[in-house]
Amino acid sequence: MISTLAYGLTVGGILYIISIGLSLTFGTMRIVNFAHALVYTLAAYILVTSMHVLGVGFFLSAIIAVAAVIPLSYVIERFVIRRLYGQSIDYAIIATFAVLLIGVDAIKWIWGAVPIPLSDPVGASFSLLGVELPVYRFIIILISLLIFAGLELFFGRTVVGKIIVAGLEDKEALASLGINVDKYFAVAFTLGSCLAALGGVLYAPITAINPYMGFQVLLICFAVVVVGGMGSIRGTFVAAFALGMVMSITGRFWGPAADTMVFVVLGLVLIVKPIEA
Amino acid sequence: MLNATLKILQKFDLLVIAVLFLLLAPIISMDRSIDFMIFCIFVLAYDLLYGYMGRLSFGHMLYLGVGAYAFALSGEYLAANVFLALLIAVGSGAATGLIVGPIVVRTTGACFALINLALNQLGYFLVLVAFSRWTGGEDGMSASFKRVGIFNFSNHTIVFCFTFACMLLVVFLVRRLTNSLLGILLRGIKENETRVKFLGYDTFVIKMAAFILSTTLSAFAGALFIINYSYVTTSFIDPLRSVEVIFACLIGGAGSVYGALAGGVGYKLISNYLPNYIQRWEMFLGVVLLLLVFKFRSGVWGYVAAFVKRCDRPAEETKSHPEVSR
Repeated sequence: MISTLAYGLTVGGILYIISIGLSLTFGTMRIVNFAHALVYTLAAYILVTSMHVLGVGFFLSAIIAVAAVIPLSYVIERFVIRRLYGQSIDYAIIATFAVLLIGVDAIKWIWGAVPIPLSDPVGASFSLLGVELPVYRFIIILISLLIFAGLELFFGRTVVGKIIVAGLEDKEALASLGINVDKYFAVAFTLGSCLAALGGVLYAPITAINPYMGFQVLLICFAVVVVGGMGSIRGTFVAAFALGMVMSITGRFWGPAADTMVFVVLGLVLIVKPIEA
Repeated sequence: MLNATLKILQKFDLLVIAVLFLLLAPIISMDRSIDFMIFCIFVLAYDLLYGYMGRLSFGHMLYLGVGAYAFALSGEYLAANVFLALLIAVGSGAATGLIVGPIVVRTTGACFALINLALNQLGYFLVLVAFSRWTGGEDGMSASFKRVGIFNFSNHTIVFCFTFACMLLVVFLVRRLTNSLLGILLRGIKENETRVKFLGYDTFVIKMAAFILSTTLSAFAGALFIINYSYVTTSFIDPLRSVEVIFACLIGGAGSVYGALAGGVGYKLISNYLPNYIQRWEMFLGVVLLLLVFKFRSGVWGYVAAFVKRCDRPAEETKSHPEVSR
């Protein structure tokens, strides 16, 4: 019971960290960004490479991985996403999916398609009411809560954050105030990409690293974004933990159905509340 | 001179398509051309939603897979009659459209794409894990049928003739449909749904009709694939393969019957022959997709149509519906 709860919170935390970027991209730019999964996968690979090649520890490698995706996300934003502003959403879906295809194939080219296992970086575990729980899971939950608090501060207190929130509401009105909207959207995009990279880094020790790890997670994150209300920052937080719990409870009874149950919930939500987007 | 030729070509387009496909068969072996023609049916079904109604579905493999599995399963457990199984496959495609349609067609844009993807994932899971006792899970299942009259489907010439006739029938049907009132209304919905509603049409019914038609045709294509391969695996319902049909639609040029055919053949040619020369095949696909989205949105057929229009300009007054007659 407690392990199910802990697993649900862990998955929910990681889903939140990854989904926030998708939600920001959708809310500000009206773009469904499949390339998000590429950043997530690539960060996990960079983490492993820097751990093996440079021989530095997990936490330094994690910082390297998150920093390394910044140039990549800038390139994607500048040359693909920015050219799709205000156009049909179908083209955005196809173009970002094409970026994902290119990236995944490049990863297979460089690292090969064989899954790379990674051991728990902390290794220790503690016991809670007689159940052994890895400390690492606890750290993930803590990090996701810290990020939630940090983002609340960022969007509520800083000028840049407030501009991005205003962009979620009304892009034209923001532009008419003389603010260079594209610049701030690029900041939001990069922030989202960094968080996706962090999610990939944190999730890597729990699952094996493989080139297609992004696809499955991306689908679930889309479900999170839709259930939480597209472009809603707090809604994403609630939906991520709710769906994380759905996954862990389903997985307790019937393992393979865990991912699918998320889509059932998504379908139910869309029946009750269809989204015009 | 050119005008006259084009007019004649337009009049007998079904015949031209038939001749072109018959010419294709000896060039690229008969087995391949069967595959090409079935894929063209699938692209036509997809184009009805994407090109005409303007709804991008990211999980159309579901409807293909429903047809494929319904066909194989009814052959295994119900009857060995191939036509009964085809009928069941088509019926289950229509039933799937009828069941999921009310949820799906209410959404637009990103939501439409994503909910189709989610449903496809659900179907994939059902086939791969939940019903693996009957579907064979990852190993798939074989489907064999006894001969009915002259239709001995283990003979590839018969399969070729059958799929050829089916494809021409589907082309004819889709062309008739898209030139009818329903087709015009679908284009209207693509441009501006509110205005179509304002004209007094019930857009929900129109969208449902198009959606069910698309799922039915996709299921039909799925069943034909199984006739050709005589086995079914989860790759027929794999959501990751949904991008193939989008790609085919974009190459050919969305929103035109000829474009769909050109795209279907073009995609299959690329995917059949290029991997022999280029190792990084997915990367190539991605680059071409990016190019298509940024530079060549109207696809192959878009350029041909623009060329024809330029040649046609002196005679433009005589043509009554230049847009609709595509």
